[in-house]
Amino acid sequence: MPFVNVPHLHLLMNHIPTVGTVIGLGLFLLSFVRRSEHLKHASLEVFFLIALASLPVYLTGLAAQAAITGGAGVSDAAIAAHHDRAILAFTFVEITGFVAWLALWQFRRLARPAGWTTPAFLLLGVMTLALMADAASVGGEIRHPEIKVSETAVAASGWVTAASVESLVANVPWIWPAAETLHFIGLSLLFGVLFVVNLRLLGALRAASFASLHRLLPWAMLGLGINLVTGMLFCIAAPSQYVTNTPFYWKIGFLMIAGVDLLYLTVIDKLWALEPGDDAALLDKAIAASAIVAWVGVIYGGRMLPFLGDAF
Amino acid sequence: MMDVYTWLEGTAFATWVREAPTVWAYATILTLHTMGMGVLVGASMVLSLRLLGVGGTVPLVPLRILFRVVWAGFVVNLVTGAMLFMADATGRGVQGLFITKLLFVATGVVSVILTERHVYSGNADPPVVSATAKRLAFLSLVAWVAAITAGRLLAYIR
Repeated sequence: MPFVNVPHLHLLMNHIPTVGTVIGLGLFLLSFVRRSEHLKHASLEVFFLIALASLPVYLTGLAAQAAITGGAGVSDAAIAAHHDRAILAFTFVEITGFVAWLALWQFRRLARPAGWTTPAFLLLGVMTLALMADAASVGGEIRHPEIKVSETAVAASGWVTAASVESLVANVPWIWPAAETLHFIGLSLLFGVLFVVNLRLLGALRAASFASLHRLLPWAMLGLGINLVTGMLFCIAAPSQYVTNTPFYWKIGFLMIAGVDLLYLTVIDKLWALEPGDDAALLDKAIAASAIVAWVGVIYGGRMLPFLGDAF
Repeated sequence: MMDVYTWLEGTAFATWVREAPTVWAYATILTLHTMGMGVLVGASMVLSLRLLGVGGTVPLVPLRILFRVVWAGFVVNLVTGAMLFMADATGRGVQGLFITKLLFVATGVVSVILTERHVYSGNADPPVVSATAKRLAFLSLVAWVAAITAGRLLAYIR
């Protein structure tokens, strides 16, 4: 990446999950005070977007780690501890984002979510906030000795450490091919469902109501979940294959666009209202077309990693 | 058969696919093969899910257009797959895993053809989903997952 300094990007973006989690939870609590369903929806939407944005925060962190580990004036132990905390916090923000999405999907379909969804969201959101704050404070220790997190906090590691994932992949030869296989199956499910739903907006399956196709969206989320878990496994086990690989950053950029579209398909009223035979608005057709282009871009960036990039 | 494979692999086109120092040869063909897979298997998975009862409110009549989407993906992968095969015909032609993959693909193709026939050939309007249609939908789902698994493993097992 000659034109962008990725480690610097990590410093710019790393406030999104911590500050965003506070805002998302704050909106959620405010929705009870104000008795406002709109605010509740907004807080869930914010959390989904925070979970989405946390992906490039984590990945630029890998690039920052590669860039400064072993350098003068930084503590390698603090970097490793920050990474392990970040894996835990990232795991929780993603789980919370999926639950937030599920609540939004249920709001849309059932008018109100199942009984467990919003309490689970609140609990997970609070845990995410605590873990993010923890990861952030240990991260601050890397360059800011004035923060003075205790020595033990820096030394202790989480239950899933980067080192344990690396050794798992190094010692169990079938893990990588198995994860690659699941990544391709998840790709088909995710791409297939969203391709069909976006084709409806473009007019190809106009005889179907949008609401009927909305029912398929959790299967896209299942594919996304499979690919998030397997993709993270690749990145944690072999970060050097990705952090200096330009197509990888294209892929993540396209994924952000496609992720926002997924939220748009899930919650927007005028899409939900499309009855059999109804034509989508021109703007929505443009959004649907750009979402398909974005998913094709995600696949292109991923498949081209070994060819356009310098790794593997 | 080996003579044919040797000849295929020696053609100027196969040599270009295999050796051209450009991303527009092997890398792009492989990427198109992946995109074709996403279209083919993705659309087929949606059809199968619907026939197996997920999204029972999705009307079947407009969904029929997805068979065309499946075939579009299949044509892309037939063409790109043949190109990739030519580049390494003597190796792949005798590789058990590769032949297994082709058998899974054939199973998937046949089950999709039979599914369309079974669901849409009757006079019922809207079409009814019989137990046979469900079995075929499940079979194609399994066949595609197996084909992807075998295909992905080709990158690791020679």
